[in-house]
Amino acid sequence: MNKKRPRYLLGSVLVGALVLGACGSDDDAGSASTEPTSTPGDTAETDPTPTAGGTVTVYTGRHYGIEPVFDEFTAATGIEVRFTTGNDPELRERLVAEGANTPADVLMTADAANVELAADAGVLASVDSATLTDAIPADLRSADNDWFSLSQRARVIIASTERVDNAPTTYAGVGDPEWNGRICLRPSTHPYTQSLVASLIIAEGEERATEIVQSWVDNDPLYINSDTDIYKAVADGECDIAIANTYYLGRLLTEDPAFPVEIVWPEQDGRGAHVNVSTAAVTANAPNPEAALILLEWLATDGQKTFADANFEFPADPDVEPNEIVASWGEFVADLAAVTQLGEFQPTAIEVLSATGYE
Amino acid sequence: MTDAATLRQQARTLSGSIVMFAIAFVVAIPILVIVWSVVQPSTDVWRELWATRLPGMIRDTATLLVTVLAGTIVLGTSLAWLVTAYQFPGRRLLGWLLVTPLAIPGYVLGFVWLDTLQEPLGARQVRSIWLAALVLTLTLYPYVYLFARAAFREQSQRAVDVARSLGCSRSEAFWRVVLPMARPSIAGGAALVGMEVLTDVGTVRLFNVSTIADGVLRVWFGTGDRNAAAELSVLLIGVAVFLIAAERLMRGRARYTQSGPKVGLQIQRLRGAPAAAAAIAGWGVFLIAVALPVVRLITWANEARRTGQTATVAGDLPFHLLSSLRIAAIATIACLVLGVVLVVGLNRKRASGAVMARLATLGYAVPGPVVAIGVLVTLAALDRSGWLPDGWLLVGSVIGLIYALVVRFLAVAYQGIDSSVGKVSPSMVASARTLGAGRFRVATRVELPLAAAGIIAASVLVAIDTLKELPITLLLRPFGTETLPIWVWQATSESLWVQAAVPSLAIVAVGMVLVATLLWALEHGAETVS
Repeated sequence: MNKKRPRYLLGSVLVGALVLGACGSDDDAGSASTEPTSTPGDTAETDPTPTAGGTVTVYTGRHYGIEPVFDEFTAATGIEVRFTTGNDPELRERLVAEGANTPADVLMTADAANVELAADAGVLASVDSATLTDAIPADLRSADNDWFSLSQRARVIIASTERVDNAPTTYAGVGDPEWNGRICLRPSTHPYTQSLVASLIIAEGEERATEIVQSWVDNDPLYINSDTDIYKAVADGECDIAIANTYYLGRLLTEDPAFPVEIVWPEQDGRGAHVNVSTAAVTANAPNPEAALILLEWLATDGQKTFADANFEFPADPDVEPNEIVASWGEFVADLAAVTQLGEFQPTAIEVLSATGYE
Repeated sequence: MTDAATLRQQARTLSGSIVMFAIAFVVAIPILVIVWSVVQPSTDVWRELWATRLPGMIRDTATLLVTVLAGTIVLGTSLAWLVTAYQFPGRRLLGWLLVTPLAIPGYVLGFVWLDTLQEPLGARQVRSIWLAALVLTLTLYPYVYLFARAAFREQSQRAVDVARSLGCSRSEAFWRVVLPMARPSIAGGAALVGMEVLTDVGTVRLFNVSTIADGVLRVWFGTGDRNAAAELSVLLIGVAVFLIAAERLMRGRARYTQSGPKVGLQIQRLRGAPAAAAAIAGWGVFLIAVALPVVRLITWANEARRTGQTATVAGDLPFHLLSSLRIAAIATIACLVLGVVLVVGLNRKRASGAVMARLATLGYAVPGPVVAIGVLVTLAALDRSGWLPDGWLLVGSVIGLIYALVVRFLAVAYQGIDSSVGKVSPSMVASARTLGAGRFRVATRVELPLAAAGIIAASVLVAIDTLKELPITLLLRPFGTETLPIWVWQATSESLWVQAAVPSLAIVAVGMVLVATLLWALEHGAETVS
């Protein structure tokens, strides 16, 4: 009887091992299916017109409406896209942790700061492509060409069309005591807020930026962690002005053409409205860098319109026409100079936000 | 017994201990990796945090914790007492329905009520710590309710009769006999609630509540400063350890087991106004926590279908559903097996056993995203080590994902199994041992079968947790695996509530099936125990 004792234990461990083993083999099957992908990708390099098959693997922090874009790419090039969605910072951590073992060929982010942090961590590859440098202006790609913007999102002042006719035209103006209790802002946890403040620091210096943010905070803003809800709050009269991204208005106007909120382009007499970007980069350890480059080049050229229009954004290539609704908001001056520095100043921005008590 | 036999016995005990240690250690590694970074504290970050956000984070965390604990204990215990001790219209059905909020993730209940109350209350008032506390209370009270109800059901009328014969009124008997005897169970449920509140990051952000868990993510993802984030996580683990210690203290040395034939508590029939009040209270909670949100979700789902707003991610409902079920099933089985092995194998009378139990259950005190990164770093190091067969990568594999879920949720399985095995009468175990059965034979022939219902209940709790889990799955899922919570995230991170309705409803539906299983197990548990 005593001899049997260890076997129960052994049995349980074996059951455990079987369960784990089952997953292991599953995983094996998963990676096996990815193996052949790099081979056809290699042929794409020798073939100037990329019609060869293969798979490009993408980590994308931009997930809204991304699938139709990839479908169109596959139809155009024959290259399959395998992608996983997630939050920018977590995907960056994953890429860094995986190092040489990463299956990802391309990193796409919804924010310039996060892609810059990835570049700093050494997980992005410098790319030499005339197609990309021709299509994307120098302000919208890193100096090393290790990441490229694909679309721009302007973060602007929005105002109620019913109650406001003197909306501020600078970000500092939002801090005017006149707007006390009348503004809506996004909390400091969100990258949009962080990059806006980073752009203030870049343009006006840390001291002045702190004063501006402090004046917003002193105006007792209503913090709402959703740009869509910020628009609705302005429409409903919860606040009269706010800072938000333009493309949400595109969505809201599609649902209700009479939506009573308008865009006020800020800083038009100076540096221009703050823009953040959606980006794409080839990873430093990409198993299939050729296919990765084809995807980037396609997104910067033939795919520009689909990519930007999918979310009512402004194309990164100034020669590509924006969507009709987007175009109807008119031309504006954009603060392009700051884009490639947003990552560098994000930590300072977070300090400023903390120091001023921005929620 | 000969010396040789004693030696063999010792060798077996030793090898058993090594296996136990190995399991506990492997499960704890990702958390230890995080904790390890505290060795070089980044004092600058701390100074800045102290000067700015940390006091607020501690205040919000403490407020939320105290409010939700108080709310769940009061609500869970009183509802449990209501359906156990009184007869009123709909009592039996309500007894079951009051468990169902467990099937609704906090982040879903959060966005439904946030959007619903926005208009009447105003956007400013709706974003408050009190509403966050209310939402968390409504989703988490079933933990206390379940534990308290089980405790009340197990109690014998005789204890109450004795109290009454000593001159106690019915309500005095409740406060002085029934409630104190249920105290360990209530504390156990409250400890689970405490952990969920401490590690929540989905619900609090909806309501602009800035907790320590939220701060970990703020620091980490905003600045990429892993050290500072890790140090905040350790603060969180500290609070969790304090909570567990408090629970132990509440429980004291008390150990309540059944003896003799059981006479359940007498049920008092309510009539007229008291009956109506009881029914209104019970149904009211169900209405707010489950019925109204589900109706709202159904309205949104219909709107999504009518306006043709498709999902923003790959695949349709069955695809997401199957992915979710598969992940939850494998993770649950893994937690279950490891939980049983640990409960049976660990001798917690020894300090080493207690430490190992603590190690293996550490992950429950850590927010999901932090566990995800801890596992990611651990597995990525393994992938680079060259110890694995060629072509094997753990990051992004099913095995890596399951491992991470085990790290996070093993505690739920372990606690549940441990407490149901603990309820097996010691005299039964003693009899079996007197008859010559060894520890594992006692476990497999006596303890585990008697605790079967409790073990099933614990498994269901793990399944519900993994079904609702988001951050770990989001970061570590293999390509082509898209779960229901990921679909919800895709939509809610863009504030597209309408598009989030279908996957939310699917989570709730599966959750309801699991809750039904849980109730079935508990019904049968009651029979087994008596």
